[in-house]
Amino acid sequence: MLRNFDYLNESKLRRTQTRLAIAAAIVIAAVALVPFVAISQTVTMIEPGFGPALVAVHQAESVGATPNEIASLVALLNKALELNEDALKLNGPGEAQNRIELISQVDQTLITVQGQATDLTALASHRSYTNKVLNYVWGIIAAVVGTVLFAFTVSFYRNYRIKRTFQMRITRK
Amino acid sequence: MSFISSQDRRTLITVFITLLIICEMVAYVANTPRPREQFFQVYVLGARRMAADYYPNNDTNLGLGEPVTWYLGVTDNMGSVQLVSIRVKIGNQTIKPPDDQQAIESPAPVVTEYMRVLQDNETSEMPLVWSISDAISVNGSTRILVLQFNNETYRLQDCSASGGHNFRLIFELWTLQADTDTFQFGWVAGGEHRVAWLQVWFNMTAPRLA
Repeated sequence: MLRNFDYLNESKLRRTQTRLAIAAAIVIAAVALVPFVAISQTVTMIEPGFGPALVAVHQAESVGATPNEIASLVALLNKALELNEDALKLNGPGEAQNRIELISQVDQTLITVQGQATDLTALASHRSYTNKVLNYVWGIIAAVVGTVLFAFTVSFYRNYRIKRTFQMRITRK
Repeated sequence: MSFISSQDRRTLITVFITLLIICEMVAYVANTPRPREQFFQVYVLGARRMAADYYPNNDTNLGLGEPVTWYLGVTDNMGSVQLVSIRVKIGNQTIKPPDDQQAIESPAPVVTEYMRVLQDNETSEMPLVWSISDAISVNGSTRILVLQFNNETYRLQDCSASGGHNFRLIFELWTLQADTDTFQFGWVAGGEHRVAWLQVWFNMTAPRLA
């Protein structure tokens, strides 16, 4: 009876030791594999108007606005980004008013970009269409000029041959 | 009476039509924009604007307050204006880097980010002067507490590596999706999602004792 009791105790002890060893191994593995836990900084939030402003700029580009024309819009967008970043830095309780002012400036700048991009789209679209038509017209003009040159060349060559024929001397062999 | 014989007229008409077809084809090619590969380029250069000398005295073991000067650049070759953001993350040896195949960002925490609107073919390059302002050693593990980037202070929590070895700064390129007004990791070109990222390793073997 006593032996049985001792055997049970030993068996329980071994099981407990095994469980503890497994738990310890899991904890050690977890600590070793992921020793890196850092609090993520918040990613800068930008005003929702940037997307539509960018879409307007893309439209202007797609219809043929030149890089110089686009550069002024990009400068405005970068200014809006800087204002946005400045606004996000104002977190203090006394800075709320300044922050609101800066955000309203950001919105205003983005509206300006959209307006200018729309105007530029209309202008560039008209210019691209005119250029396209002009290119095809130049093609027709080049074909006409080429044909006239061909006709003159053929005519000149024929006259030359006739002249040469009359200048020939017939000699007896 | 005609100045040109009927045979000459036929020849001239044939020449004109042939020239017209050739000239209009040239005009069509001139009017049609050529397709091009769309991509971004991201780079980090050392203090002398070269892919070398990333650390003072070429020693990757940094000390507290030791300034490191890099140049962080991004080039837009997307054929259009893009709003890009370079997210700077800090990691150690075990944290996952970004996944190129699946276009998944690294789970490492963001320390800071730099945003810029770029024109097509434009490169934006900015100096990045950074240092570890505070780090402590706890049970053989070095924990970076404060980082400085361009005179801005960023506090980190439990950012540690065993023995202070193999920390890394990860630079990920994010772009603004104009239609949805949200940032995405990488960009979409030709129906494919592509990513660009960099990492630079360093050690912090001289922390203060906790």
